[in-house]
Amino acid sequence: MHPRERLAYSPIEGRPLLKLPKGVRLVVWPVLALEEWDMARPMARMVISPPQGQPMLPDHPNWSWHEYGMRVGFWRLRKMMLKLGITPTVTLNARVCETYPVVVKACIDSGWELNAHGYDQVPMHKLDDQRAVIMKSMDVIEKFSGKRPRGWFGPGLTQTFDTLDYLSEAGVEYIGDWVLDDEPVTLKTSHKPVVALPYNFEIHDIVMMALQHLPSDQWHARALDHFKTLYAESAERPKVMAMACHPYLSGVPHRIGHVERTFAEILAHEGVVSWDGAKILDWYLDARAKSVA
Amino acid sequence: MNFPKPSVGMLPNDRLAYSAIPSRKPLKLPKGARMVVWTITNVEEWDPTQTMPRTVLTPPAGGSPMPDIPNWCWHEYGNRVGFWRLLQVYDDFKIPGVMNINGVAVQSYPDIVETCVERNWEFIGHGFTQRNMQKVENERADIRKSAEVIEKATGKRPRGWLGPGLTETWETPDILAEEGYDYVADWVLDDQPVWMKTRGKPILNIPYTQECNDVAMMLIQHHKASEFYERAMDQFEQIYKDAKGSARVMAISVHPYIMGAPHRPKYFRKIYEKIRKKRDVLFWTGSQIADWYMKVGPKPA
Repeated sequence: MHPRERLAYSPIEGRPLLKLPKGVRLVVWPVLALEEWDMARPMARMVISPPQGQPMLPDHPNWSWHEYGMRVGFWRLRKMMLKLGITPTVTLNARVCETYPVVVKACIDSGWELNAHGYDQVPMHKLDDQRAVIMKSMDVIEKFSGKRPRGWFGPGLTQTFDTLDYLSEAGVEYIGDWVLDDEPVTLKTSHKPVVALPYNFEIHDIVMMALQHLPSDQWHARALDHFKTLYAESAERPKVMAMACHPYLSGVPHRIGHVERTFAEILAHEGVVSWDGAKILDWYLDARAKSVA
Repeated sequence: MNFPKPSVGMLPNDRLAYSAIPSRKPLKLPKGARMVVWTITNVEEWDPTQTMPRTVLTPPAGGSPMPDIPNWCWHEYGNRVGFWRLLQVYDDFKIPGVMNINGVAVQSYPDIVETCVERNWEFIGHGFTQRNMQKVENERADIRKSAEVIEKATGKRPRGWLGPGLTETWETPDILAEEGYDYVADWVLDDQPVWMKTRGKPILNIPYTQECNDVAMMLIQHHKASEFYERAMDQFEQIYKDAKGSARVMAISVHPYIMGAPHRPKYFRKIYEKIRKKRDVLFWTGSQIADWYMKVGPKPA
């Protein structure tokens, strides 16, 4: 379907109000992404380009960059989140259950939500059988953790015009791929509707650090500017603020400090809570039902 | 230098001879004002069946996937949420608005159009779609349709034009003049308006900006948000100084999907907190600049 057939344009001003529980005005949604980079393919992202700029296979240096995230960076982020009492949504390539089981177990043991992020880090467009890969991703995570994921992020948030229909068919209740609003919205599919939660491209370490090459302290500066605007607006309408971390970016030694003080300062505000995607979804479904006059 | 001439249209210097800014007769603004600031908001609608004009997130391992839903959503966020944040700045500082809008967006975002019509913003043509004018199938039809949808929605035919990504063919100014546009802002080559020859009547070019423009600064140069304010102030102070003997024009250009993201409007606002109080600075629309220049400036050659 064309995106507008799934969701009509609507300006945020003047919509029915969604109410948060008493005392809550802004929900922080931490997202931690775990990926598997297949060495047989070009790497998903690069920190160093090869001499003369020619892509190379295998790409050891950039594969190692990502691997560092799983060996070291993840554990730094985990420690930080446990310290701050944050329970993120962990969005993972399902293959991570097979290749880094100890990492996924650590997430489950911490009570963190698992969200499906494809089977490996390949755009949805490049899959021969998208439907089968979606089903397999959901099944692998369900088998490993005992729970079927309720949420989905496409690798690089990629979708084709029919991805949402397959996601709904596979049991996905919410996605983070549609970054187009500050509030959750309900998308039509050929099966059950799917909710798009307000993820963002702004407080997102790939965008800020790997693509826009901002200094590490911008993690904190941009997030606080972002937060202040949403916090002021949350006096009138509830706001959700996603913050996206990848272990190979946010888990490196020179950034983790900025990431930690960002979460700590934001969560110290009155009326600010940290929820995972499933909890935001449950709130939204309830609030949506109540907001319809 | 004699460069080979295009078969249709004109070379830039055939429309506009080189002229050094200090050699010109001084331009005077009303009531002793030194300079004019005009503030352009660009509202676009991106066709989800085409390659996106800009991207904030690239797919894993690169490439340009089709459709590109994440980046389509990014622009849609600007129109659902971001625009309304920028509007508050316009309202709070009583900035006369210039709405540079794709023809298709006029139909798709009626709430934005109505809001701007209520405030008497000036609407200018920004292409019927957000596509390079060199790739548009029928340039004249595109330019004409852009004017028609704006006229239908606002009651006024647009007098100004700013092409998608400032793109032009060799004959864009000729077609614009023939289709009744009075000014264009695609030629970022001066601090004062300039007359350009066309094959028919001349068209005015008004100073626009690649410098205080959020596409260039945030998406291409990847500056942090506060740089938008810092640079705008540096730009303003220099133009203000330069305008001592002869008036100059400064443009500030924003896009809801960029400057309307939560962490940036603060820096857009800060610019006007500083400059709006200046008694000898005028805040005008493009048409006001055009009308003034047509009255007091040199007549077209």
